[in-house]
Amino acid sequence: MRNLLNFLMRYSTWFVFAFYVLVSLVLLFSFNTYQGAVYLTSANAVTSAINESTSDVTGYFNLRTVNEQLQARNAALESRILNLNNEIKHLQTLIDDTVRYAGLPPRFDFETAYVINNSTRHPRNYFTINRGRLDGIEPGMGVVDQNGVVGIVNVCGKHTARVVSVLTKDQHFSVKIKGTAFVGSLTWKENDPQTAWVEEIPRHSRYRVGDTIVTSGFSTTFPEGIPVGTIMSQVRSNDNNFFTLKIRLGSDFAHLGTVRVLKDELKTELDSLRTFDRKDD
Amino acid sequence: MNSNPLNIFVLFVAITAAQVLICNHILLFGVAVPLLSVYFIIRMPMSMKVSLLLTLSFLLGLAIDIWSDTPGLNALACTLVAGIKRPALYAYVQRDDRVKETIPNIATLGLGTYCKYMLTMVGIYAFLVFSIEYFSFADVKEIVILTLCSSLLTFLLLLGLDSLITVRRH
Repeated sequence: MRNLLNFLMRYSTWFVFAFYVLVSLVLLFSFNTYQGAVYLTSANAVTSAINESTSDVTGYFNLRTVNEQLQARNAALESRILNLNNEIKHLQTLIDDTVRYAGLPPRFDFETAYVINNSTRHPRNYFTINRGRLDGIEPGMGVVDQNGVVGIVNVCGKHTARVVSVLTKDQHFSVKIKGTAFVGSLTWKENDPQTAWVEEIPRHSRYRVGDTIVTSGFSTTFPEGIPVGTIMSQVRSNDNNFFTLKIRLGSDFAHLGTVRVLKDELKTELDSLRTFDRKDD
Repeated sequence: MNSNPLNIFVLFVAITAAQVLICNHILLFGVAVPLLSVYFIIRMPMSMKVSLLLTLSFLLGLAIDIWSDTPGLNALACTLVAGIKRPALYAYVQRDDRVKETIPNIATLGLGTYCKYMLTMVGIYAFLVFSIEYFSFADVKEIVILTLCSSLLTFLLLLGLDSLITVRRH
């Protein structure tokens, strides 16, 4: 027994070293799949409290740019409303004797949030928002800002949530070229927060440099038609049947401010249909 | 800076805050990240027990990881660098009682030796951080570029920081 104790005492430093290395490796390899561990992310109470107070100060730095972007977006939406109103009036006079079209109930609702912690320099980037489970946020919800898609909610705390940014290697988003049905897969590869890639675009599709890339709507995360970026150039793909597009992302990921979390009212219904299919198999 | 626990605690908090609130948001020319956290390990007194140094380094890495959403990355890199702190210093100085009691800095080691020691520690730390983060042979080029540029930036930053601390003391 004494020998054993002597042995342990003599090599205690090595045991301590091995223990910490082991704990770090466990965290490194198992953590990303273990979504429940909110306390080990930036969405925990202490981290987010400090992040919130820091962002209270730094949040003022980019207000001018954000304001300009919002005004542009506001103007675009106002003109769209005017156009739609005109269209409705026109249609009403045409079909006054027929049954009125009441329209579909809105499928997506949104919650406004503020980014309190953000990173763009890692191969896998996350940002934290100041809305959490108590505000109805759940993992899997899409997040957009005034310029387009920015990420998907990944871990939820009570009052904060961590979002997987578009700037994440191995993360794919279903997108398409605006106005067409050519669907591809958006991914991010380089250490450049402004450019991304759209892979698996069919070879026969037509596009021009500067065309907009929008979400395809093939998931419950994002509705169809939310802008993602614009086409910069085409690059050679490994597969001859498809090509890859290099795109400039619409959102400025280095200065994310106010974002909107999208809630799909049909998510539960669609998810239950998917489970139903699986049970059937 | 001396081996007083309060001073060590203040340095721990200051380094963590500076890394997560400032340095984490800097990417100079798209290739250089200031990795300030290694300064804590560099400046710990040589008389400190290795197990305590390993524990403090692990905790520092873990604190930075929680903030940066990089679980285990900095914790592993800090623990490994803390493990090689002694060999790194003894590669440049004689192993005698005088060194065993010192706190590594320009005054105790001399500019040349201190720079070599610091560059070794910073280089190894940067290499570990980026290798663990990318974890793929496909990204070797990126890992090498990021390691070289970040080491240089961090080295200059730490040298400046050291001079500031020394000037203040004099």
